[in-house]
Amino acid sequence: MIIMNYIASFILVGLGIFCIATKRNLLKICIGSGLIDYGCNLLIVSVGFHDGGTAPIFAIRELTRASFFVDPVPQALTLTSIVIGACSTAMTLSLIIMIKKQYGTLKADKIRRLKG
Amino acid sequence: MSEFISNFPILAIMSLFLGAFITSLLGRKNAVVRNVIVFISMALALIMMLALIKPVFIEGKVIGYWLGNWAPVADWAIGIGLEVDALSLFFGLIITVAVFVSGTYSFTYMSHDDSLVNYYTLFLMLSGSVLGLVLSGDLFNMFVMIEIMTFTAVALTAFRNTYEGALEGALKYLVVGALGSSSVLIGTALIYSQLHTLNLAQITALLTNDQNIVTGIAFAFLFIGFGTKAFLFPFHPLAADAHAVAPASISLMISGVLTKCGVYGIIRLVYCLYQNIDRPFVQYLVTAFGAVSMFICVTMAFNQHNFKRLLAFHSISQVGYVITAVGLGTSLGLASGLYHAMNHTIFKGLLFLTAGAVQHMTGSLDLDELGGLSKKMPRTCILFLIGAASISGLPPFNGFGSKWMIYQAAFEKSSQTGNVFFLVVCVTALITSVLTLASFVKVAQSVFFGQLNPKFENTKEVPLAMRIPMWILAILCIVTGIFPGSVANKLLMPAVNAATNTRAYVSAMMGEAYAAAHQVVHAGAADVQLIGVYSPMSWMLLLLSITSAVCLVAVLGSPEKKKLEPVVGANVPNGPMTPGSIPVTSQSREADERELITDDLDPKYESFFSGEHAEYSQVGGSDLFWGFKKNWRHYFSFMHEWHSGILNDYALYGACSLALTLLLCVLFL
Repeated sequence: MIIMNYIASFILVGLGIFCIATKRNLLKICIGSGLIDYGCNLLIVSVGFHDGGTAPIFAIRELTRASFFVDPVPQALTLTSIVIGACSTAMTLSLIIMIKKQYGTLKADKIRRLKG
Repeated sequence: MSEFISNFPILAIMSLFLGAFITSLLGRKNAVVRNVIVFISMALALIMMLALIKPVFIEGKVIGYWLGNWAPVADWAIGIGLEVDALSLFFGLIITVAVFVSGTYSFTYMSHDDSLVNYYTLFLMLSGSVLGLVLSGDLFNMFVMIEIMTFTAVALTAFRNTYEGALEGALKYLVVGALGSSSVLIGTALIYSQLHTLNLAQITALLTNDQNIVTGIAFAFLFIGFGTKAFLFPFHPLAADAHAVAPASISLMISGVLTKCGVYGIIRLVYCLYQNIDRPFVQYLVTAFGAVSMFICVTMAFNQHNFKRLLAFHSISQVGYVITAVGLGTSLGLASGLYHAMNHTIFKGLLFLTAGAVQHMTGSLDLDELGGLSKKMPRTCILFLIGAASISGLPPFNGFGSKWMIYQAAFEKSSQTGNVFFLVVCVTALITSVLTLASFVKVAQSVFFGQLNPKFENTKEVPLAMRIPMWILAILCIVTGIFPGSVANKLLMPAVNAATNTRAYVSAMMGEAYAAAHQVVHAGAADVQLIGVYSPMSWMLLLLSITSAVCLVAVLGSPEKKKLEPVVGANVPNGPMTPGSIPVTSQSREADERELITDDLDPKYESFFSGEHAEYSQVGGSDLFWGFKKNWRHYFSFMHEWHSGILNDYALYGACSLALTLLLCVLFL
């Protein structure tokens, strides 16, 4: 089952890159970079999954060698990565707002004053 | 004392981050308070890094620190660690010195701008994250630091958001840079899936014996991720855009500090984590990326009309040198790469600061508009010439020393392996150096010599507060250039030994028994021999004598030459330029030139390389390298169109390089 997660995460990343590379609208580019983030998050959280494991919440004396739970580290990493992704999206959107004010367009192929 | 000194890495990072926090709390009202806080936090970080020189470089220790005292349990690292070996400290020193210089320069340079408290908060956060990256011993922590670094750098690029193109450059940097950050994250996740640890020392130990196809894919992702941060070949347009619009102090940070993070990541990756630099495939991969960026960026610098954009392309070209040398896989290659990385920060920082000084005093960075400033700003001109001589590799400045070592390393590598590839790399490095000189001849002529634009008649010399940081860098250029031997012994060799000696790196964090159990190799001390003719002073004498001989011939001249002179003179603009003559549009100028030239219908009439007489440029078509540049005009034209300025294209180039690297790593690693 977990193999589906891996495939889905790489499809998400691929779609995100495709979106950034082909879509001319800046908002769609922002959505594309969001998709890459979601793909990464899905990948990390799948890495820590153990089939049949419980949630990793234990008091210190309940924890024995026999306890079987999913890996908590990737979940912590995913939380961090979600926060970073949200910052990234917020920052891209704020830049897009400013660009729309200055250039009057959202088309990526019209925003090319720096080139060559 | 030795116990307390192990707290210095975290304290240095904290002093920068806390400085950012306190600046935004207390620095809003009073500029003096703000500047004092910023200065103290930068100076504290610098002093702590300097204090670490004795235990790390001289005594050869590796300082490990577990945050929150979460030491490993049953040989598994569970906390976040900081680990400072000589390689980390080498980059830490470069970073703190560059931060200090950039910060003190900003006090005067940024004084015309408003909302400076935001600038300094972001600036200190950027410095702290970069320092955190190189001192970190945890792969995910490195990713977090990379993200903080990218966000603050993007925000600072767009800081002067009314400046033409500032937002555009920032957006491109953010979106395509996020591609690189995501690559690092995917690489981290794949490594965790195989090894169940994020600690660099433990990854090193486990990867020694257990490399499979998934770790190979992770290598490709991490390599491209760090390559993005170093702005290697398909990512270099980002750097050019960001540099051209960012304030000069931030250009110093991007070129001198941020690219070093990418270089550090790649060195750590191939020498320490994977230890696969001995494999020919990795050598080809790293060296090819370096050599291509080195050559393409220097040729791109030819047709730039913006001072800082031109410097940006040179900056990536020099980073290409570093990566090329690192990819050779020999001790001499790594030593020369590190030496050039240090020199690159110094001379590139100096050049960006002089560009900033010109911009500060004249308000312009346009090479066609500036000119003759050596009369108005003689001291800045001297500083610029020192920087230009260093980057072009003229003795006795530091660029000569490191470039010489790189040529020697590439040549030795090709003679040892008998491989033509490394010989080509060596020749490319030589040609690139010549082209760098050609390009700086053009800049010097355009900005500091030539005719003075009447618009800048009242330009004054920059204030002393801005010249002091520049002089610090200029003196470093000369000192590290004249004494390459002691630089190599004191700074480079400990760093090279630390990078190759993974045994010490693992045992400092995980214990000696752990390293032994995983059969981590213990490399002996590296031995670097410079060939005998290497001596900056004698090469300078040779250069001076050749130059004076050429000058003598030129002065005496032949009658033919005297006859030619008026023709050459006719190519430069007639009389001083007046602002009124500028409104002629570029289209009509090109149309005029098309009419003039009927026998050559080439589409390019760019003044810098077509050889056409340049009406609005300080550099005529008749400069020293014209013949070369004219023959390459189709290539220049192609590259000009290739750098289209469209965000989608840059992302596509990046994605293609990622796909190619992935394919190669799956096939050959």
